[in-house]
Amino acid sequence: MKSLAALVIAVLLGCVPALAQDVTPDPPLDIDAARVELGKRLFYDVRLSGDTTLACASCHQPENAFTDGEALSAAYTGSAHFRNTPTLANSGFRGAWMHDGRLGTNLNDVAREMITETYLMNMDMRVMQERLKQDPVYVEMFAAAGMGEPSNGGARNALMDFMRTIQSRNAPFDTGAMSAAAQRGQAIFEGKGNCSACHTGTRFTDDMPHNTGVPNNPDIWSDPERHSAFVAYAKFMGIENYMNIREDLGAYVRTHRDEAKRSFLTPTLRELAWTAPYMHNGVFATLEEVVDFYNAGGGEDSLKDSRLRPLGLIPSEKADLIAFLESLSGDTFDIDAYVWRDDDFYYELIEDWRNTEN
Amino acid sequence: MHRLLAAFLVSFAIISAAPWEAVAQENPRPDVLSALEPPAIPDDNPMTPEKIELGRMLFFDPILSGNFAMPCSICHLPEAGWTVQAPISIGYPGTAHWRNSQTIINSAYYGKLFWAGASRSLEAQARSAARGAVAGNGEDDMMEARLAFVPEYREAFKKVFGDDWPNIRHAYMAIAAFERTLVQTDTPFDNYMRGDDNALTAKQKRGLELFAGKAGCTSCHSGAMLTNEAYYNIGVPPYDGWEFDELAQITFRYELYSKGVSEEKYRKFKDDPGLFFRTKQAADFGKFRVPSLRYTKYTYPYMHNGMLETLRDVVVFYNEGGGENEFSATKSEMIQPLGLSEEEIDALVAFLESLSGEEILVDEPELPEMQPLPPRAELKE
Repeated sequence: MKSLAALVIAVLLGCVPALAQDVTPDPPLDIDAARVELGKRLFYDVRLSGDTTLACASCHQPENAFTDGEALSAAYTGSAHFRNTPTLANSGFRGAWMHDGRLGTNLNDVAREMITETYLMNMDMRVMQERLKQDPVYVEMFAAAGMGEPSNGGARNALMDFMRTIQSRNAPFDTGAMSAAAQRGQAIFEGKGNCSACHTGTRFTDDMPHNTGVPNNPDIWSDPERHSAFVAYAKFMGIENYMNIREDLGAYVRTHRDEAKRSFLTPTLRELAWTAPYMHNGVFATLEEVVDFYNAGGGEDSLKDSRLRPLGLIPSEKADLIAFLESLSGDTFDIDAYVWRDDDFYYELIEDWRNTEN
Repeated sequence: MHRLLAAFLVSFAIISAAPWEAVAQENPRPDVLSALEPPAIPDDNPMTPEKIELGRMLFFDPILSGNFAMPCSICHLPEAGWTVQAPISIGYPGTAHWRNSQTIINSAYYGKLFWAGASRSLEAQARSAARGAVAGNGEDDMMEARLAFVPEYREAFKKVFGDDWPNIRHAYMAIAAFERTLVQTDTPFDNYMRGDDNALTAKQKRGLELFAGKAGCTSCHSGAMLTNEAYYNIGVPPYDGWEFDELAQITFRYELYSKGVSEEKYRKFKDDPGLFFRTKQAADFGKFRVPSLRYTKYTYPYMHNGMLETLRDVVVFYNEGGGENEFSATKSEMIQPLGLSEEEIDALVAFLESLSGEEILVDEPELPEMQPLPPRAELKE
């Protein structure tokens, strides 16, 4: 068992992400280290899913900048996802979450949604709370984090705090070590390519939905496990005619206005080197394909954003643009600050159960 | 009426000139008990062969669970008495269950389902079990979506219920219809009560006499189902798994938490408060619905938490005046030491065995699977 003393030492030694010498896109947030450490352990714990098969980290893998390398994400036993796993890098700075932006509050809500959603972790959080209370490491860590005994709300807050520490570190764009090609690419990004119309700010996103005409991914509709998960989602979101549509309506769920159909939140361009494939449905395997897509003026959609026009980039310009995009990726996330390394997940029998308060 | 008529005819058929009184002692047929007739079928869920067949498939199909692994039949296994032959039912993966699984056989007759009567109908019980976090852990929208991807189910739900797409509520109705076919009305006891004096052995008849007499069982185990469906605390000891099983400890707290008891009770309870969960009245601590005694030959172990292994253990338990649990204030005063001899205990057990007929088994269906769903235009109507 990890003792409180060890925990304190770990914190003092600097197991807090965004180490002082790292360069990050935004200043690190001031977050309680004990809560972060607790959130980190929760993030890697499969007991946060109903049948104990999935942890947050099953799809948000540190070695892939907290994505899973798949076009379409995995999901709970018996289901498969209809969207691509987004990176968690810098997600504490987002204005809205999920590709459709349906969560606009905070990462506590995101954690709740992921844990309880039937096709994701399918967890009754009341069972989860009692599981956490049966693990003496959690009992100690919740207390050390000033959150009393293990609870649902505390777990979600700790997960939020851990996720808020996940920041890009030492990207050439931030350290000033960009190649000449990347610097030329930046000029295209901001000029001829007009990418910065939506990909703005430190995270290179306006956090707004846009329709760029990304092609439908037929793998969603040919796989009953994906398609049925989509149907469950569509029902819950109040999408009309959910049995007959064969398209992801994206941020339409936020407003139910036709003009929002098939619009998706601008994704961050941070950590692209780690997070292929691309787009909300993973239809593009490489950055070359993404750049070609925009160079052609995006895809086919009657509601496509009118700013998307063929760009007329020549091969060298496309190569420069990709070099710039690659300069937005930093160090690996497979570091101790972001990974719970111990395989120490267990339950402890409460001895003398009859005489011990629940 | 049926029973009286049968008794009348039988009495005439007897050649020997035994006096009425002697016949009554030799072949006791207590008024408080009766043979089991076919179950009532609710008006809002009539039976059809197609509906029953659909229910049979769904009963065995793990599609009605969170993870495609927990069909109804996993905890109500036909070859295990349509129950689980272990103290506690089978929990959803990653969890433990907390109560004994009850048999499906004759469940059609109960007014309420579950040990504390939490469901008002078989339809409601099926839904609760499919969705419960330590049982099926399914979610209605998801299970309904999955059903729509099975061509055979689309066809069957349309035919049986007129559904454009399978409606999850109709799945529970079909399962209930199937369960209403799982009844047993021809046990030795039933045949005896209908007039066949030879259906019970002399020892069983002696047991029946004790059952309705000295042992006082019919105070609660009355009627055709041998239950008055009332709730009592008889002092069944707490489930022992809470002492040695971490998952059981988790689930016990979960049940207290999810069923909404006060924090004080959440902290202090160390036993299943039963009916209290529904009423929140202290007078109902530790009370459970009197179970039917039918089909019990196959449904061991016994009691709401499976703490008694054999029918003989059960009789001995009552002979000793029941047991003790932490809810002693609510223990029924009807439960008193009975002073039964070993022979009398044997006779009671023999009688209880007459309440089970042949084992009821069914063919398990070939289960259809989810298929890609073509656009509507390509679906054959």
